Amino acid sequence: MVSSILEELREAVIEGDLDRSKNASKKAMDANIHPLEAITNGLAKGVKEIGDKFSKGEVFLVELIMAGEAMRAGMSILLPKIKATKTEIKTLGKVVIGTVKGDIHSIGKDIVATLLEANGFEVINVGEDIPTEAFVKNVVEHEPDILGLSSLLTTTMPMQKEVIDAIRTAGFGDKVRVMIGGAPTTKEWADEIGADGWAGDAVSAVNLAKRLMAGNRS
Amino acid sequence: MFELLGRDEIHAIHVAAMEVLEKTGIMLQHDKALQILGQAGATVDEKRKVAKIPEYLVREAVKKTPRKVLLRSRDPKRNILIGDGKSYFTNAFGAHYTIDLETGQRRLSTLEDLERFTLLSDYFPTVDYIKPNIIPQDVAKNVLEQTMTLSMFKSAEKHCSVISLTLDGFKDVIRMSMILAGGEEEFIKNPSIVDAGFNNVPPLKYSEGIIDMILECARYKIPFDISTGALASASGPVTLAGTIVQGIAENHAVVVLTQLVGAGTPIMWGSCATILDQRYGTTAYGSPENGLIHAAFIQLAHYYGIPYYGAAGVVDSKVADAQAAYENAINALTATLAGADVVHDAVYGIVESGVTACYEQFAISNDICGAIKRIAKGIRVSRETLAVEIIEAVGHEKNYLTNLDALKFTKRHLLEEQWQPLITDRSSRAEWEKRGSKDIVERAREKVKEILAAHKVEPLDKDIEARMREIIEKRAKRDN
Repeated sequence: MVSSILEELREAVIEGDLDRSKNASKKAMDANIHPLEAITNGLAKGVKEIGDKFSKGEVFLVELIMAGEAMRAGMSILLPKIKATKTEIKTLGKVVIGTVKGDIHSIGKDIVATLLEANGFEVINVGEDIPTEAFVKNVVEHEPDILGLSSLLTTTMPMQKEVIDAIRTAGFGDKVRVMIGGAPTTKEWADEIGADGWAGDAVSAVNLAKRLMAGNRS
Repeated sequence: MFELLGRDEIHAIHVAAMEVLEKTGIMLQHDKALQILGQAGATVDEKRKVAKIPEYLVREAVKKTPRKVLLRSRDPKRNILIGDGKSYFTNAFGAHYTIDLETGQRRLSTLEDLERFTLLSDYFPTVDYIKPNIIPQDVAKNVLEQTMTLSMFKSAEKHCSVISLTLDGFKDVIRMSMILAGGEEEFIKNPSIVDAGFNNVPPLKYSEGIIDMILECARYKIPFDISTGALASASGPVTLAGTIVQGIAENHAVVVLTQLVGAGTPIMWGSCATILDQRYGTTAYGSPENGLIHAAFIQLAHYYGIPYYGAAGVVDSKVADAQAAYENAINALTATLAGADVVHDAVYGIVESGVTACYEQFAISNDICGAIKRIAKGIRVSRETLAVEIIEAVGHEKNYLTNLDALKFTKRHLLEEQWQPLITDRSSRAEWEKRGSKDIVERAREKVKEILAAHKVEPLDKDIEARMREIIEKRAKRDN
């Protein structure tokens, strides 16, 4: 019974079926499966599988994103119970990610956020055109392990530096690792502005985040 | 030569695009632009910064948009009339990295790379006007646009498009263009000594900085291209027809705004839209879908009577290889056969979807584009070219290498009829081996070195150059 429900959760995510994911989550609660168990061996297992396949070019981005949505749908059922039992979901790390002030590009940043999530990171996607102070506020509030800064314009690249400087001034320089990306950025630019890493695509960004979590700079 | 859509389909696409403009509208992060559109008759939501534009504004704007754009050059013999029925080709735009010609290593691009790519663009007969092929990484950001502009003006006699990244930089670049044109008065009369280019932020958005610069173009009537950058299945619908509909709405918002501010400002209506590769989450410019998007857009541009400017020929391959060659060829050819007025990115000296410049690829693409232009030129049919008399003179006994009239005939028409590639190998195997059994990449590298050593352009007037440098120095000082 338990294993078939867990299997259904995994399948619902792989199929990107939001309704099925919700229903299976309800079934899990009815069957008294611990919500963490339902996530770890059900929903998250499915997302991980899709994420791995995406990294190999075996599934499409739309399937990866739908899997994430299905996982979120299931989580919405399970989360209240998790909060009630005062347990914590284990993740690879917490990431705050956004596009810097003056820049309203979202696509690349959203792909990176999705793939990080699929690989087991907790991701707080704060959106686009985010002022430096708002990044600092998010870092103070969420205490992420990693801050991701995206910039698609040559003119907004200096904002990445501004955020890094502001994080340092706020005393979070040692607590959060900063990774940057976006079409006009380069590894050399990341080094120049004191970022901890640069990635040119989503798969490299995930690998970079994993390295940063292991305490290695790029 | 290639018509993708039927009349009904063109009409359906137009109607759908107008529906998007009227119902969903365009977000412009620019209060003044919203105000202008609002006063003209658009419905503006100031809080969301969205303008919903009715069709009649589009019709009025399209009517004011010139059907032709004369791009002027330092050497007037190199002037080109965009919209005259021919497809004009440009080189590529904006590589941050370059594969070093000597070491073969990928490194950051330099100002010297920009100079060399501009010089090569001046030399290659396939490049009709020149884009900033390189965004140098060794130049201070506050004088980047100005320094790039001077470098390009110095290295070419053909028409140059200028870089437009920031309003301040663009204003300096306009000042420098005035100097090139022979003063402000002369520039105001003939601002098409330069042109600029802008993209939106799909879906359906424009940033403040871009609109600032577009208004500056409208003020001086500087020609520019407005190119949707939608990526089908990410920032545009997965259906190509849907992405085209969205792109038309995006482009037309700028046409309307521009013609309200500066009626008669020449606009090239463009697209650098393509698909997102769903397997890797990357842009796929070398895809056949890219060519189809151009072919459809060309028909819509011509339905509106606006010249079409399409980024066709971009290469996703990481090196100058067979993939790079096929990607470059299929889309540049498709856009040309479909009648693009400008095939931007045709002579493509970049690999990796616009990221890394590659000298060898540039020379290879020059041959690809030479072949495409030959195809576009077609076959001349006249009493003379039908050659009945020569065929009779040669008869059955002789051939075209042994009959004197035939030889004269060949000599007379050879260069018109047969295109001469620069580095393509058509020699015999024995000859090819004698010359070192080199593949096209190696031959390209050697040819590029040869051109860079030998090709000279008429230097800029010393006084003109000095006054341009003053602008750069003034900006550098002000910011320090």
